[in-house]
Amino acid sequence: MKNALYTIFAISICLLLGKLANFLLAALPASLYGMIIYALFLQFNWFSPEKITKTNQWFIKHMGVCLVPAGMGIINHFQLIQQHGLALVFIIFSSTFILLTVIGYLSERYLITPDNINSQTAEGSK
Amino acid sequence: MLSTFIVNSPILASIFFTIITIATYQFAAACQQKWQYIWLNPMLFTISILVPFLLLVDINYQEYSHTTEVLNLLLEPAIVALGLPLYQQFKQIRFYWREMTAILILGITVVITVSFLLAMWLIKAPEIAVALSLKSVTTPIGITLTEQLSGDSSITAFAILIAGLFGALLGPQWLSFIGVNSAKAQGLAVGSASHVIGTAVLVRKSAEHGAYSSVALILSAILTALISPWLIPLIQQLFN
Repeated sequence: MKNALYTIFAISICLLLGKLANFLLAALPASLYGMIIYALFLQFNWFSPEKITKTNQWFIKHMGVCLVPAGMGIINHFQLIQQHGLALVFIIFSSTFILLTVIGYLSERYLITPDNINSQTAEGSK
Repeated sequence: MLSTFIVNSPILASIFFTIITIATYQFAAACQQKWQYIWLNPMLFTISILVPFLLLVDINYQEYSHTTEVLNLLLEPAIVALGLPLYQQFKQIRFYWREMTAILILGITVVITVSFLLAMWLIKAPEIAVALSLKSVTTPIGITLTEQLSGDSSITAFAILIAGLFGALLGPQWLSFIGVNSAKAQGLAVGSASHVIGTAVLVRKSAEHGAYSSVALILSAILTALISPWLIPLIQQLFN
């Protein structure tokens, strides 16, 4: 419980700083500034990563529900889907595959690293 | 009947619709957990249950979104919470952030341009074109960016979902087919094209796949936020 409050406090502070950064610098949305500030604070250990991890993971796991109201707007677009459904799917499909191909191909070609990095990354990911 | 309920007791109506939304979502999430199908996406599932429900009880979208405002407010802190995976991936980003940034910038510029032009050509509606060109980033950030650029965020939400499913279901096979086999490259490609949905699938292949996929998902969201506010108006000018 204490850690949950700590996490909420940490996130709120970072969001507040993000709003300030957005007000001063514009460029990125406040929440993205908040995300970067949050990551930096964790990196500098100003907020303890151990304390926030559990609540934070819970937050990320359930964040999808916050997106439902935005997605529900599709209710106003039946006509668009009827008229342009195929075009929509075609655009999404083709641009997704172009992106996969461009990034996949370039990364395969230009991100060459010594093999010892691989073992580090594997353990850092979980 | 329900719309008079919304007018008469807005607070109760808010609680009612918010709880219905959360309950449906939780049910869907539990189903996905149980059967592990990618296409059983909780958001897709929830929307396909709630849309007929709203039509049945004759509630329009404005009324619904107004009563569930509280969920929308949680979007900003939810994005901040993504700072934790960003922090966890700093090690990898630090190692070759220059190359990764360059590749992602190129990919993002191409995908925004292609989607926008295709949408203007086939559908001819700027707000849809904006929505479609921002469909490769993670949903909360995609929605925020679309609203900032006066696109239609419900289309973004849907397009992101579909792009996520395409990339997750077919991405790894497609990449192997074109000779892209390293975990690094597959992770970056699927993470940037199919965000969280793709990452969830790639994690099952190997931890390294998953790590690079989440790096790409976050990095490409930040880069898209930096690129799109000037690239999209620039392309828009072509049509004026």
